[in-house]
Parts: sequence; C-alpha cells; structure tokens
Amino acid sequence: MAVALRLGALLLFLLPPVRAAEPSAEPAPEPMASAAGPAAPPETRAATRARPRSGPAPVTDVAKLCVCDLLVAQCDVNCCCDPDCSAADFSLFTTCSVPVVTGDSRFCSQKAAIYSLDVEANPPERIFKLIDQVNPSVFCIHTTNYKQALSFSSPEMPTSENFDQLLKQFGSASFSAEPDSWNMNTDAQNPSDTNETYRYKYGVPIQTVDAFLRLPSPVVSSWCSDANPAGFLLNQATKCIRSLSVEKCGNIEAVSMLFYINSSILAVPESNQVVNITVHSIVVQSLNGMRTLLNGSDVLRLPMILDELCINIVLGVSYHITYTDAGEIIEAAASFVLGAINKEARSIQQSFEISFTQVNTKPVPLSGNPGYVVGLPVRAGFRPQGSGIIQSTNKYSQLTILQSTSNQDCLAAQGARTPILFGYNMISGCKLRITAAMKCQPLTQTLLDLLKGQSFPEFVASFGNSQAQDVLDWVPITHLHISEQSSCQIPVSLEMEVKWTKYGSLVNPQARIVNVTATITTTTLKQLPSGRERTIPITSSVVFTDISSPAEPGYKAWPTINAKLPFDFFFPFV
Amino acid sequence: LSSVPLQILFYVNGIYYIFYFLATLAMIVYKSQVFSYPDDFLAPDLTLLFIMAILEVLRLYLGSKGNLTEEEAPLGLSLVITVGSVILSVYFLVWQTYVLKADVIINAVLLFTYGLESVLQVIAIAAFVS
Repeated sequence: MAVALRLGALLLFLLPPVRAAEPSAEPAPEPMASAAGPAAPPETRAATRARPRSGPAPVTDVAKLCVCDLLVAQCDVNCCCDPDCSAADFSLFTTCSVPVVTGDSRFCSQKAAIYSLDVEANPPERIFKLIDQVNPSVFCIHTTNYKQALSFSSPEMPTSENFDQLLKQFGSASFSAEPDSWNMNTDAQNPSDTNETYRYKYGVPIQTVDAFLRLPSPVVSSWCSDANPAGFLLNQATKCIRSLSVEKCGNIEAVSMLFYINSSILAVPESNQVVNITVHSIVVQSLNGMRTLLNGSDVLRLPMILDELCINIVLGVSYHITYTDAGEIIEAAASFVLGAINKEARSIQQSFEISFTQVNTKPVPLSGNPGYVVGLPVRAGFRPQGSGIIQSTNKYSQLTILQSTSNQDCLAAQGARTPILFGYNMISGCKLRITAAMKCQPLTQTLLDLLKGQSFPEFVASFGNSQAQDVLDWVPITHLHISEQSSCQIPVSLEMEVKWTKYGSLVNPQARIVNVTATITTTTLKQLPSGRERTIPITSSVVFTDISSPAEPGYKAWPTINAKLPFDFFFPFV
Repeated sequence: LSSVPLQILFYVNGIYYIFYFLATLAMIVYKSQVFSYPDDFLAPDLTLLFIMAILEVLRLYLGSKGNLTEEEAPLGLSLVITVGSVILSVYFLVWQTYVLKADVIINAVLLFTYGLESVLQVIAIAAFVS
C-alpha cells in the first residue's frame, strides 16, 4: 500500500505544470547590439564572431523600431517614434504617421508600441505606451520551436568552403560550366529515331558535319568567340575584334576563308544529307577602305604575306541560307569581304551576318500589315509617267533624313542618311561654314542635295503593305517653300510632317498615313566681306502627327415596341 | 471488483482521443498551409501523432481488459504505456513546431485525463494485488 502511494506521488510529479509560456521566440535571429532589451547572452556574440559575416541584423525591439525615422540626427515630421525629436518638435506635429509598431500579430501575446498625440494638452505632447497586445483567436501561435518560421531568412554568404555546394544547389544553366550538349562527338547521346524525321525549328543551332555553324560574336568583351552557333531563322549581325599580326596571319584559321566554308551544313539535323557552302561573292577591301567586287568568285583565296602586308584576311562574312517550309536547308551561300593588314596592325574587326530566305518566295519587306508598325521604315517611291510606283529594294533607304555626324560640318558629311521610321520623330542637323568665296547658286544646290538626299521620293505608301501597282494607295509628298523675298535664298531647314490617322476597328486600329508635307525654309545669304566667315545651322526634322478624329462608337437604335392592335379590337363600338 | 470510475474514464478517454486526434491532424494541415512548415519539421510531427494514436489504442484496450478481468498485468502494462503517451502529449504541448492556443488547451485536457487515469489505475492495481 505504501509502495502504491509512493508510486502515485511519483506519477503526480511527472505531470508537468500547465502554464502559458511566454512567447519565447523573437521572430528573428539573435538581435545584435541595437536591441536595448535583455542583454544579448554571451554565447550568441561568440557565435556571431565564428560565423562568416552575414547581412546586418534586424532590429526586433518594438520600442526601438521606427520606420518613419529616415533622416539621421534630424527630426522627421509627424514621426512620433523618432528618437531625434524633442518635446518642442512633438508639439508641432498634427498626427502620428506610424501609430502602432507590433511584431507578428499571429502570436498570442506580444509587445506593441503605441504612439499617439494628445492634442487636448497645450502644447500637444506625444504619448508613448508599451503594451502587451493579445490575440483573441484560439489559433494564435503560443510558441514556435522553428526559429526561422515567421521571418525572412538571411541567405548564406558564399565563402570559399561552401561555394561549390551553393553552386550545385542554386546554379542553373546560366551560371554553370559548359553544358554537356555542346559536345557533339559523343555518339551515345540520343539513339537516332529513324521513324521520326527531324527538322530545324526556330532558334535551333544549325548543325554542320563536325559541330555547329559558327557565327563568331563578342562574348562579355569585344573579342571574338568562335563558339557562338547560328540559330535557324535567327537573322543576326555581329561585330567583334580579333587579335592578329602580320607574322601570325597564316596561322590563325579564323581569318581564312576556308574556316567558314569548310564544313558542310546538315540539311536536316542528325542526318547524312549535307549542303555545301558556296562562295557567292568576294569583295576585296584595300588598306584605305576602298572595296572592289571580284569577278570570279570560285577561287579560294587564302591569307598570305605579300610585301610586308598580309592579304586575303577575312574581314566580314555574310551567310545566306535558303530553307524550305519543311524546316530543311537546301542552299547556303557566303559572301566574303577580304582585306589586308600592315605591320602595325595588332587587331582587326570582323563582322558577320546571317539571313534566311524561304525557297521560292521573294521577300517583300512590309512595314506593317496593313497599318504601319511603329519603328519600321516608311515606304516611299517614285512614279514615272504612266506606270506604277517604283521603290528601292532596300527598305531602309526609301525615305531618309540627313544623319548628324560627329564632325558637324555639312559639307564633309559624305551623304550619311538614316531611314525615317514610322512614329519616331527625328531631328538632325549640321553646321555650314560660309566663306566669302561661296556663290549662291551652287551652294543652294548643294544644300538641297544635302537636305533631301540623292533620291528624294515623290510618293509615300499610306499603308504598311501598299502594293506598288495600287497607285491610289500612295500619298504624294507636298512640297512647301517658305522664303523671304530677296536675291539669294539658301535652304536651311527641311521639315517633314507626316500626318497619320487611326483606321479600322476601335479594338485594333491600324495606322495609315494621310498626308506628307515637306517644308523647306530658306534664308537670305548676305554677302560677307572677304576673309570673314559665318556658321549657320542646317536642320532637318520629321514629325509624325496623329490626326485621327476621336472615335465615335456606334450604337444600335433603341428597340421599338411594335404593338399594333388588331383591326377590329373595339368591335362593337368602331 | 473492477473499478467503475476507471472504466468510465477509459470510455470518455476513448471518445475524447478521437476528437483530439482529428483536431491535431486538422491543425497540422492548417499550419502547413498558413505557416512555413518545411518537410523536415512536418514529418516528425505527423509520425509522432500516429504513434501516439497506436499507443493510445493499445493502452485503452489493455487497461480496459485488465480492469474488467481484474488482472494487474495488463493494467500495469497500460500504466507503462501511459508514461509514453504522457511524454508524447508533452511533446505536442511544448516541443511541437508550432504550438497554437488550441493545442495548449486540448493537450492540457488530455494530460489531466492521463493523470486522473494513472491515479485510478494505481489504486486498481493495488486493489487487485491485495
């Protein structure tokens, strides 16, 4: 019996006292010196010293936390928790921008700092109360043993020890070493499915007999990297720098024509059909930049040293690939620009481009279908007597504007023009230096040529896809001359105003050019005394104005009630 | 003679435990949705809950059988298992990942029941032995 009683007493001792524990978890890692509350236990300080440096520790004491305290050592207006404010500052506040600062409200009991302004007192004073806020819900968090539960975790700082592990965990394709798929030599990659026919899809690298069709491009820096593959149907143009000197010009294979036409392209990926790369044309560029087209283009010209120059080095390659709509490549042609370097040259700039055309189609560049697309060049052309519109095949040179160059001299501008893109207002100009010796008439003609360009068109397409044979779809360019009455007038500005309107449905309006006006403003050329010279600015601009009238939605007519009584409704009386 | 209060307590305990099990399971599901509950913490909690359920069934069966057949062996075994159940209940009261106020309430009631049962079991064993 006594044994039983002793056993019972022992069991009673085992029952733990049921008591609501204080919320032990501050919802953050150990606060550092900024928290004024209970002193940080010494072991956390030692732990922080041993840990690699991490981000700044968060402030967790609600009495010290103040989100409106933005100015250091200065009082923020209406910020009742700002420690830099004195009682005199508080008397000037109207409200408290931050009335309550609490921790996570899901805890059953937590501290809250309440700031308020007592406007009754004279002068107004700030009231600060630190209370225990109680969450009445039965599902409030009493304790949590998972410390990182309710706060943002600070990410691990990479050090030399954990870098590899972090890289494996978080590194993806963009941040890892060379992916395995570049290695084309492994035959065991995918067993060829002879039943399924492969074909090229958009963006897929074009495969050649040994690897991929290379389009050297700059990676990270401007130096050429030969590992960039050309993607199917991706028109690309790249420029990069290669280091080269006359002594080594025979050794570097990337400057020889053979490198670019050596390997044949596979017509269909993973197949045996090959398409040889033919040489379409060769342009030879001399040391001073002059280019000549060579007649016979089947001769392979390899770099060689001649008279202290290295000639036949590849300065540019332009690939043209013809494909079918089944995703097969049927033709590949390369046009080369070969140049020469002298002894002082240490590097050359190479430019590469690739373009794709579908077989049996003539690519007509449209600037929109049907309305103009912002950013595409405005289409324009001429109309000789009795025929349709004639346009230039280069869509970027149909309607152009003077291009400002780095040396702002008009006469040395060398005719640089830039295409007018729909929707982009442009302004450009140059400075003209007039000396006493200049005559009026030749100067006028030169300036007109400069402003208008070599072939200023007469008609502009009103829609982005206007056909050359539909003459009525083309808008004539109206010319205006603003001139003063005097002897010698020289044109100083060309302003083109393109008025366009929205056409079609409200939901998908299309841009349509309605009117194009080219205004040339002239000014008097005063004769200068000899020896003096004057500089006048020449400007040309193009402005696109939207003249669409506001849309009026059309509503259907109200339905009418068509109620007619029968003829003999009021029979006995009518 | 079998102890009638003990038997009543076993019966009430059984019903209450079913409620306790379902409530704790539902709250764990709720916590996993509302709070961040990684798998390393969720798995032990769920495992211990199921172990507790098994222990409870065993405990109630053995205790009831021992009480009704007036044998002290099953009753003693049930008392030992009660110790395990108490530890598990304390775990759910204090060392669980998230302890909500509702958890505190139902675990407190369960511990009170265990305590009362233990006392009655001890008295019953003493009665059967002598």
